[in-house]
Amino acid sequence: MAKKKRYGGYAGIFTDEAKVVEAARKIKSLGFLKFDAISPYPIHGMEEACGIPRSPIPYVTFGAGLFGMSFGLWLTWWTSAVNWPLNVGGKPFFSLAAFIPIIFELTILFAALTSVGALFYFCRLPQIDPPVIDPDLTCSKFAIFVPENDVGYDEAKLAQVFREMGAVETKKVAEF
Amino acid sequence: MAADNHHHELKVEKFETPGNLKTLIAVLSVIGLLTFAISWMKSPERLWPAYLTAFFFFSCLGLGGLFFTAIQHVAKAGWSTSIRRYSEAMTSFIPFIFIGGLVLLAGMKYLFPWADPEVIASNPIVAAKTSYLNVGFFVGRLVLFCGGWFLFKHLIVGNSVKQDITGDHKLTLKNLSLSIGFILFFALSFTAFSMDLLMSLLPTWYSTIFGIYCFAGLFQSSLAFMALMIIFIKRTGFVKGYVTVEHQHDIAKFLKGFTVFWAYIAFSQFMLIWYANIPEETEYYIMRSQNGGWLALSFGLLIFRFIVPFIALLPRGLKRNENHLILVSCLILIMQYLDIYWMVYPNFFDGQVTFGVVEIGIFCGFAGLFLWAVVSFFKKFSLIPIKDPRLNEAINHHVTY
Repeated sequence: MAKKKRYGGYAGIFTDEAKVVEAARKIKSLGFLKFDAISPYPIHGMEEACGIPRSPIPYVTFGAGLFGMSFGLWLTWWTSAVNWPLNVGGKPFFSLAAFIPIIFELTILFAALTSVGALFYFCRLPQIDPPVIDPDLTCSKFAIFVPENDVGYDEAKLAQVFREMGAVETKKVAEF
Repeated sequence: MAADNHHHELKVEKFETPGNLKTLIAVLSVIGLLTFAISWMKSPERLWPAYLTAFFFFSCLGLGGLFFTAIQHVAKAGWSTSIRRYSEAMTSFIPFIFIGGLVLLAGMKYLFPWADPEVIASNPIVAAKTSYLNVGFFVGRLVLFCGGWFLFKHLIVGNSVKQDITGDHKLTLKNLSLSIGFILFFALSFTAFSMDLLMSLLPTWYSTIFGIYCFAGLFQSSLAFMALMIIFIKRTGFVKGYVTVEHQHDIAKFLKGFTVFWAYIAFSQFMLIWYANIPEETEYYIMRSQNGGWLALSFGLLIFRFIVPFIALLPRGLKRNENHLILVSCLILIMQYLDIYWMVYPNFFDGQVTFGVVEIGIFCGFAGLFLWAVVSFFKKFSLIPIKDPRLNEAINHHVTY
């Protein structure tokens, strides 16, 4: 997933947030599967409009948390009760109550760091040469991009649909 | 889909109490009154611990409603505007905290060892604390706290319902500063309130985290009750479009968050006392671990107040599932009662686990009163703060995944 082959395609540029969501919904209803929406900030409802499934990151976080918890339990048990048993205040060598803060912290540490790692992986970050459709897409404009390998790709039809949905500009993109 | 949310039908009707709810309230109240009268005459030593437990449980729900309302105002939250009336309805129990507290004074000699001159004479540790723990000051604090809570409830909720008629945006700003004042007052007063009512049952023991422990239970149970109200009103159909599954989802997230918060505070209290191992502090946990029943309940709190609700509220789909949320909310409310029971009862009946008709009857009575107060509020005012400037934000509320 880290290396994605880049395709050219066709893009519609919008200046209105509501219109770009409508356009994404329209493009999806026309049967396109691989299209993408680009916006300077998250838009409520865009995930559903594009049909993007839920992110797998929460599952990664949960797994990493479970691992961190087990590791913390093993670490405290092995260091305090097996490898170097020390009598602390007459408490048992294996005192779970005293170990819970460490287990808790390791759970959080593993869950948090792994989530950041997973985010970088799934978002293909860092990207040193990002393709540019329009420089204003990081500032004031929105775009819908349909790659040329998508089902039923037809530039003339796309240009017409984008115009109908209120695009201010449509253009052919060499690669994205 | 968000865009679909923008277009659905908006409807809010006048609330009419469903017939079976009316019957329920009547039955609960009669059971409560009968239990109270019979045990007042026959077994006052059974009555008062049961009264204190149920009284504290419902005081927490009433105050939790006002606390939720206040934090929404302070955060200038938009998403919760359409469910704010539900938390405001819970505050209509606040006047009864004062009345219930006055009734409680009649049972003081059964409940509080520090109110007994013999205990003071024989125990120098208790005697040293009488400058705080004495009947006059206790009553004074009770009046001060209940008076303050009532004043803030009157002003904050009053401004909110006034806005339904006038539509004046200034009222929202007024509620912001009032809410800041309430949160400050609540932090101090509820800490002292929980110390007075629960911690002083064992006057030789102290825990500096006790107030926040009680608050954690208060807020968790209040959110559980709000989740139940959201689903109840949705099913009765008086409100359509204003309160959606998105609001239910966010309340469930809050509920999960404060489930963790309760566990965090409960563990902080336990771990420090266990680690330091000072006799005057460990007394509390020894009382709750020697007898098999109390030990089982102690572990029950860990499992059913934290582990089970935490796992049950983790998946997104389950937070959005009504029947599932009803189940978890009921579990949390039961555990809140058992938690207060666990704090109160080991101090009585020679540490034997005692539970029976009196406890259930008194709880029913308070439940009847509480539901009656909530329902009366709904009948009197609109179910949605219809002219709130932030209502639009709540209608369009949408939880991204």
